[in-house]
Amino acid sequence: MLPQLARRLGLMVFTVWGALSLTFVILRIAPGDQATVQLGPEATAADVAALRTELGLDRPVFLQYLDYLGSAVTGDFGESYRFHDSAMTVILDRFPATVVLALSATVLALTVGLLLGVLAGRSPGRLTDRVISGCTLVMQAIPPFWSGIMLILLMALTLRLLPSAGSGDLEHLVLPAVTLAIPFTALVARITRSSVAEVTSEPYIQTARSKGLSERAVLTRHAVRNSVIPVVTMVSLHIGTLMGGAVIVEQVFAWEGVGSLLVSAVGNRDYAIVQGATVLIAIIVVTMNLLADLVNARLDPRIRAGVTS
Amino acid sequence: MRSRRHAAFAATMVLGLVATTACGADSAGDGSGGEMAVASAFPTESIDPNGPLAIDGGTRVAAMQLYSPLLDTIGPGEFEPNAAQNWEINDSATEFTFPLREGITFSDGSPITGQDVAASFERTVASDSPFSANFVGIGVEAADDSVTFTAETPDPALPAKLTGVMITPADAAEDSYLGTPVTSGPFKVESFTPGGDLVMVPNDRYWGDKPKLDRLTIRSIPEVAARVTALETGELDAVWGISDDQLTQLTSNPEVQIVSASGSAVITMWMNASTPALGTAEVRRALWQAVDFDKKITALFPESGEPADSVVGPTVFGYAPQEPVSYDPDAAKKALEDAGFDFDTTLRFHYSQAQFRQWVDSVVSDLAAIGVKAEALEKEQAVYTEDLLALKWDINIQQVGTLGLDASYNLGRLYTCEAERTGYCNPELDEMLQRAGTAVDPAEREAAYADATELIWNEAVGMYPMFVKNLYATSSAVSGFEPDGEGLPRFDTVSIDE
Repeated sequence: MLPQLARRLGLMVFTVWGALSLTFVILRIAPGDQATVQLGPEATAADVAALRTELGLDRPVFLQYLDYLGSAVTGDFGESYRFHDSAMTVILDRFPATVVLALSATVLALTVGLLLGVLAGRSPGRLTDRVISGCTLVMQAIPPFWSGIMLILLMALTLRLLPSAGSGDLEHLVLPAVTLAIPFTALVARITRSSVAEVTSEPYIQTARSKGLSERAVLTRHAVRNSVIPVVTMVSLHIGTLMGGAVIVEQVFAWEGVGSLLVSAVGNRDYAIVQGATVLIAIIVVTMNLLADLVNARLDPRIRAGVTS
Repeated sequence: MRSRRHAAFAATMVLGLVATTACGADSAGDGSGGEMAVASAFPTESIDPNGPLAIDGGTRVAAMQLYSPLLDTIGPGEFEPNAAQNWEINDSATEFTFPLREGITFSDGSPITGQDVAASFERTVASDSPFSANFVGIGVEAADDSVTFTAETPDPALPAKLTGVMITPADAAEDSYLGTPVTSGPFKVESFTPGGDLVMVPNDRYWGDKPKLDRLTIRSIPEVAARVTALETGELDAVWGISDDQLTQLTSNPEVQIVSASGSAVITMWMNASTPALGTAEVRRALWQAVDFDKKITALFPESGEPADSVVGPTVFGYAPQEPVSYDPDAAKKALEDAGFDFDTTLRFHYSQAQFRQWVDSVVSDLAAIGVKAEALEKEQAVYTEDLLALKWDINIQQVGTLGLDASYNLGRLYTCEAERTGYCNPELDEMLQRAGTAVDPAEREAAYADATELIWNEAVGMYPMFVKNLYATSSAVSGFEPDGEGLPRFDTVSIDE
């Protein structure tokens, strides 16, 4: 178990380092840098060159990388030139808002998705299944920026039930969380549906029914528990996509999270913020993957046996 | 059983929505002027008026409410004192003395001194913002009740440039602006989240007229559809940075009023004279003549645009109207043939802002109609800027404004041979701009800018098709709002009718 865990942790560190290095290189080879953005289109080339030298951006990229890596190892991800503050401080200030948004969307997606998936999967091919499958297909195909704007028009402008943008309290959370949850709900529902449909045809379910258990008991005690394993795996893998979705959703709804921060930081070539946020997201994704494996092992003794063998 | 569960689920969702909506009921302000929330396209990432982000749209709007400069521009070449009592300029326009108003204080009650003004200026110079470039070769000396600026060479435009320098305490540092900094303007900060809300209340120690509002919140809603919707739902009281197509939605709403103001900005399409195909004025003028700009303005910017007749806007000192270039594709084609234009060349037409997408496509189409090939290249802003500075384009489009409303910032900096910004270099133009930038007599400066503008226009350094108006939409409950042509509205005279 311990060597497995050590190997796994080593892989996690490698993955985070890879994300950090890749982001560093991409940002440096992308045209346009902090000096260009900071001085704007009305600057002269000489002004930009002077600022580039002052900021050390004209040094060899490899030397810049070594300096950055050395600092990052000690937890120093540099200072944001736009916020005059430590990049990680700025990111962590925004982080709770993104966590709230992502968690709300996940809870919503899991609740509704599992319900729809079980409803569809318990009676494959019937009308309920067809309707749910059709709806989830559409939900999965809708891009979040479009559904977000449609929800604003409906819920904020037409019905006046919810605010159109901003962050802070519960009422501001509803629309971005629903927007972020829509494709995720569809994914959960479709995977649950397949899994339930497959599990309910297994012999042990027939056995459970033949023992005289109620349909509800068969579903909750036997079918759903076994069906949920691929869902857990998928949810953990989907965290990265969810963070990507949050970037767009936060921008549409002016939600003050890491996503909107990241969008403006990329445009402004605020390297420290982009790199810090990427590292944070990478850590979250690899941690969630590890947690998913542990949960799966808990749910499925066969996996547990594989881990400990 | 199944239907009961479905009903319970639906009821839970509806109750949840009702509860969240009820929680969010707005609380009205208690004071006479009311509470106001506004938003533009630019998030407020910093409220440091003299830092690296001094020129950012969000920072500048915040600075208008929170800080005071020595003087304000009230018209082309016209100023009125703000924190200064008045000012004196020596005969060679190299020394500028500003005695301060007596008894003026910051929001914490400490007196505003010449040392504070000097330190604010020095922070601006050291900030590496686009403002800094205005102050090359300018020194400052402070006394308790005045401040004196000295220029190495005559700089008659210095008062205009100083309208952008906001007064902050001498001991202010970058950290001072992370919380609730001391301010010198009509408002002070109640709370500020970088990139989020800036909440302000009246500064009781402000020496001028006190704001009527009890509270002013500048929110960051970059998405235009969300911003406009927030105005219609009553979450916001004023928005700007709105496009013409959003106006259709807003004008049909009786609770919304639209106002606009002309500014200094001009849609500018430089033609790179260092590109062999665009090396002669005949070719550049012919290309300008080949595009039906009036039709484009009518179709795409009917409210926010008007045909331009100069290189800088009418609100700028140095504005000189020119004879408009009329659309004539046949004459344009003949002129190109006469000039030996290479019709096999594909011109790189680069741009960065989505608002120009249809405009650029339409220009490309007009050029294609006379056989000129042009390729529209949309670039991300930083990439665009880098390529712009490196002259990696044949035609570009940008909205060029004039900081301080003096042509020295625009013409004087961007059109000289040394600047290498347009691909055009003409020692005669350099001489005119030098004269315009250093002449002490305003009439002589105006005449020199008129000469320079005429040359730039006739040589078709670029196409200058449209003056830009800034559009504002406010709720009908807003009174006393004055639109600003530069997109920098002030809210100290505004109130909300309860």
